[in-house]
Amino acid sequence: MDEALEKPEIVTDIALVEPRVGPSASVIYLVLPAILLAVTLLGGLRLGVADNAFIFLKPALTCLVFAAVTMVLFVRSGMVAVDGWLASENSGLRNAANAAVLLTLFTALVQLYNSLLPEQGLPFWIVGFCFFWTLWNNLFAEFDPKRLLRSMAALFAMAFAVRWLFLANLTPETSGSWIERILQNPTQEAFTWLLDIPRYSAGTGYIQFFTLALFLLGLYLLPRSASRD
Amino acid sequence: MKEKHFQILGIAVVAVGLTFIAFLYWSQPRTLAEVATKGSVAIGTYEVNKTEFDAGLAAFRQDQFVAARSAFERADPEKRDAATQFYTAYSYYRQGWGRVSNDDALFKSGLETMGRIDPNFRSVDANLQMKTAAELKFELEEGLKLTASDFNPLKLTKERK
Repeated sequence: MDEALEKPEIVTDIALVEPRVGPSASVIYLVLPAILLAVTLLGGLRLGVADNAFIFLKPALTCLVFAAVTMVLFVRSGMVAVDGWLASENSGLRNAANAAVLLTLFTALVQLYNSLLPEQGLPFWIVGFCFFWTLWNNLFAEFDPKRLLRSMAALFAMAFAVRWLFLANLTPETSGSWIERILQNPTQEAFTWLLDIPRYSAGTGYIQFFTLALFLLGLYLLPRSASRD
Repeated sequence: MKEKHFQILGIAVVAVGLTFIAFLYWSQPRTLAEVATKGSVAIGTYEVNKTEFDAGLAAFRQDQFVAARSAFERADPEKRDAATQFYTAYSYYRQGWGRVSNDDALFKSGLETMGRIDPNFRSVDANLQMKTAAELKFELEEGLKLTASDFNPLKLTKERK
């Protein structure tokens, strides 16, 4: 009897029964949208090779489709509980604020695909097909939120490596006449011509790395439900 | 701050942020300076840089047309002011005009600039012989055409307008 009373585990059990508190309102309604808006802004940003001028690339229709499928994946895996964000018992203001956060998640996804998909030519179709294949398979797989988060991080990291490390390095960053470029980098020039890869300044890769990192941070901060309990 | 305040602030941040991003992708600015210029156009506060315009006008009157166009470009980077664009087109005409033959490339650039001007525009500059956009456009178009009248020796007596 005395031994049982001395056991400290009882305190631990009580601690476990306490309700878990989600992210604060400031994180859900300010930090998270700010991060996702930054991703939306930077996802389509490229820097011109000659003068580092901004080039804002509008997303292809494919990016919207992929983003919509990814949103469905988030819901199916339980990473985003729709009734935890939008519910009839919530006030109109709360529903509107939650819808705004989900809208930024969607726009960020669109722009992330815009960042990771090559702009045109054969690479666009190959990488696009790989995305489609993966997303289609994932739609019918059983996921929990943690596994899905890891899977998405791996998918996006791989796509980033293909787009901004492999394909970007196949194009020379030098500007100049066609003849000059062929004489300086014959192999890279041939790949650029064959694969129809646009030329961007080296800074673009750094911006897109930052964009991907921000998006993954946003996903990490995204609660399953906007309700704090 | 109450949760309600964060929600209101969140909606405002998202609305302003998405509007700004849509504006950037629509207007396609190439530099940070262009972001400000295009922003002022969007909200209706765009104005021509008066100092640069006056510098351009001074250069134009001294027949320094390249310098004049450069100053006009700085004065009206968005190419929206009819008067500035009229002087730019006029500078192409005056630089490209020749007693025997005209410079087609400059005349074509002049016509291209005329495309941005309201056809009903009328200049108040008393020093210009051609005061309306229609007159200048006609002169540029005629200058590009090759007709039998171009071989009339009396044309050598014509004067630049």
